Amino acid sequence: MTMITPLELTLFVFVLITAIMTALFRDVLASIVIFAAYSLGLAVVYTFYRAPDVGLTEAAIGAGITTILLLLTIAKTTRPRHDETFEKINWPAAGVCGLFALVLGATMFAFPAVGDPNAPAMTNPDVTVYYIENAYQETGVENAVTAVLAAYRGFDTFGEAVVVFAAGVASLIVLGREVFA
Amino acid sequence: MTEATLVDVFTTRHAYVMFVLLASIGLYMMIANQNLVKKLIGLNMFQTGVFLFFVTTAFVQGGSAPVIPPDGSGGPFVSPLPHVIVLTAIVVGVSLTAVGLALIIRLYTEYGTLRADSLREVMQNE
Repeated sequence: MTMITPLELTLFVFVLITAIMTALFRDVLASIVIFAAYSLGLAVVYTFYRAPDVGLTEAAIGAGITTILLLLTIAKTTRPRHDETFEKINWPAAGVCGLFALVLGATMFAFPAVGDPNAPAMTNPDVTVYYIENAYQETGVENAVTAVLAAYRGFDTFGEAVVVFAAGVASLIVLGREVFA
Repeated sequence: MTEATLVDVFTTRHAYVMFVLLASIGLYMMIANQNLVKKLIGLNMFQTGVFLFFVTTAFVQGGSAPVIPPDGSGGPFVSPLPHVIVLTAIVVGVSLTAVGLALIIRLYTEYGTLRADSLREVMQNE
């Protein structure tokens, strides 16, 4: 049985504090900046869980591009000024979210422990085991993530590119007035 | 598999518990914050919680990142599939955020407010 390590605990406390601060700060700019710190903390968590490519993407896109987009939005619109530093807690909403957390939390007992080598996801011979055994022979790529991304699930990645294109077109249409004026 | 106790959940399923907390805080932001930009930040937080869930399912104790040498040595490796799904989801998520922010800018130029409650008021008076 694998227990939580001090490193994980520290990272989780950091991520949780930044998450709560993001939710409670009244000033939108403060929220955006703390959310960037939150993304960076999560990028480190992903790297700890041996997903360096996900960590890099999260740092570049989550902490980088998303923050820039959010900052551009408040630069183009408004940043309301407030006297109070923190939002008042909305108790009905907190109750709903507490209930949501309880319902999700009730399923936690059925999960395999974090890092359990006998977890169903790890022992499935058609997916994880197959990719790890055959990725290099079938695709010639050492990085199994690249092999799955570009070869086994290539259509998935194509669909992703279509989504990005559609999002770009949609943004241009929505902002049409500002762009072409 | 034996049933886990409450203590087990917090000490050995910690990352899954973290997913629940992050998703709940994101949901709270989407409901409670009236500023539309903060609602979108909440949506992003919910997403990152789900990403953490996926990355955790891929993790195996003592495993290394799935860069496998041609002779297959150096295991165990973590599962590459959840990483791929999360990579796709991060990019789709930022596309979603971009469209949402474009809509927010458009709403602001049309109605002059970013607050959901005053927006509702202005739209009713039209």
